Amino acid sequence: MLRDAALVAGKDLRIELRSRVGLNQIGPFAIAVLLLFGLALGPDRQVLAPASAGLFWVAVLLSTVLAVQRSYAIESADAARDGLRLSGLDPAGIFLGKTGAVAAQLLVLEAALSLGVALLYGAHLSGALVLVGACVTGTLGLAAVGTLYGVVASGLRIRETLLPLLFLPVVAPVLLAATKAWDEALAGTPDRAGGWLDVLVVFAVLYVAIGIVAFGPLLEDG
Amino acid sequence: MNGYVEAGYVVVLGTLSIYGATLVTRERAARRRVGAATSVAQPGVPTEPQVARGDAPVVNHGGVEDEERGSGP
Amino acid sequence: MPARTVPPDRAAVALRVLGVTALVGVVATVWLGLFVTPPDEFMGNLVRLLYVHPPMAWVAFLAYGVASLASLLYLWPRTRAEHFDRVAGASAEVGVVFTGLTLVSGSIWGRPTWGAWWVWDPLLTTTALLFVLYLGYLALRRVPGEFHVRARRSAIGALIAFIDVPIVYLSVEWWRSLHQAPTVLNPTTHKTYVHGSMAWTLLLGFVSFTLVYIWLMAHRYRLAKLQDREDSEGLEVALAERRAEAVAG
Repeated sequence: MLRDAALVAGKDLRIELRSRVGLNQIGPFAIAVLLLFGLALGPDRQVLAPASAGLFWVAVLLSTVLAVQRSYAIESADAARDGLRLSGLDPAGIFLGKTGAVAAQLLVLEAALSLGVALLYGAHLSGALVLVGACVTGTLGLAAVGTLYGVVASGLRIRETLLPLLFLPVVAPVLLAATKAWDEALAGTPDRAGGWLDVLVVFAVLYVAIGIVAFGPLLEDG
Repeated sequence: MNGYVEAGYVVVLGTLSIYGATLVTRERAARRRVGAATSVAQPGVPTEPQVARGDAPVVNHGGVEDEERGSGP
Repeated sequence: MPARTVPPDRAAVALRVLGVTALVGVVATVWLGLFVTPPDEFMGNLVRLLYVHPPMAWVAFLAYGVASLASLLYLWPRTRAEHFDRVAGASAEVGVVFTGLTLVSGSIWGRPTWGAWWVWDPLLTTTALLFVLYLGYLALRRVPGEFHVRARRSAIGALIAFIDVPIVYLSVEWWRSLHQAPTVLNPTTHKTYVHGSMAWTLLLGFVSFTLVYIWLMAHRYRLAKLQDREDSEGLEVALAERRAEAVAG
């Protein structure tokens, strides 16, 4: 299973390195989201800075949707599921591989977004350990849920609208917990973020486990 | 203040009533359509499906009910 | 339409009895709630909405539980059966109606009570998220496919979404506890139900609306069953007509 995972993850990441869609499209999209939030909430840093964590994570959530859609788009167009199914790879491995690849790309994106948030909203990036911890655990959970729902939506004509509808409500706890963890870190009280990080860990573990079990059946259907 | 209470009751009861009514209506319509279709699909029916559709429903409603009896709500 | 010569079966009779009972219960609740029970010492006549709003919320979560359980039973090989998929779908559709009503009734109660149409109360917030989760699940169910494929996909989708609800509730509760914010369930509201007639009316409300839920569920289930039959028989009709054409032509 793990070998197949590494295989799939490696393939996905190599495709990304070559095509640079993540870099050229999802990255700028995320930056645009930050800018639009800035426009919407006004130039006053007194308003923006405290909201940095939340806005950061909303941008990450929206970018995850794009990243997942991209993850399935790189399989052979509409026959995405057929291609994966016939590859003979262990479905759980495919799930872990795709989740890992999406998570890796998102982490790179988050590094850039952190700088963006510091620059645009005047957030002071303190409590780095908590910031990074929340990013890793939160992103893992996001990628797992996204990859799961992504396989359901892939190959459907309504996938562009179905995936966000399925994905976003389910990851609301990640948004909540990650934002709170970041809030504590940014406010200079990173020790208070412990409980929120626990929530993120539980969520990630839960949905990776569900994915390992459920991805196979979902892949077969349709 | 009382306006809120009335509004609340009206919305809740109204919505549930409308939903219930549409369900029952849709169910009746579907039952009629299924009854008509079953008579056509009966084996041994002569090559005049229109006639069969006309006089078979009585028997077939019983058929549908029999199935429902087994599974229940 | 030709007269039915077949007597109504037991299930249909039971359903009718259920419907009448539910209706009587609801009417009684409304009558008691609006006219018989006294206004509350704290919130006056607004307490009358609290005979309706909590039952809505209860049914919303009951329906969610039923849909989750049915989905689980469908996925479990030993208990897999078509009717579990239909139960899940029926419960979700009825559930989404009650969830919406929970939010609306809560909002209507909240406006004069807290001065706002919405507060981030953990139960209300979780209900709002449950609403959207339901809608996503129902959208997933509508994706075309062969019965078993659709059913399995929906069941997995249901579990992915509904396992989330406890996590959502706990997170939101913790989040809200960090700030002082108004809640629906607090010591004050608990005290209101101490007076005899109010407590009984609330209980009647819970029971009546649960019966309404079951009645709606039953009809939605039957509708689903008929629609599935219609689909499979549509195929038979087409085949029969094709055969008839071949013979005649």
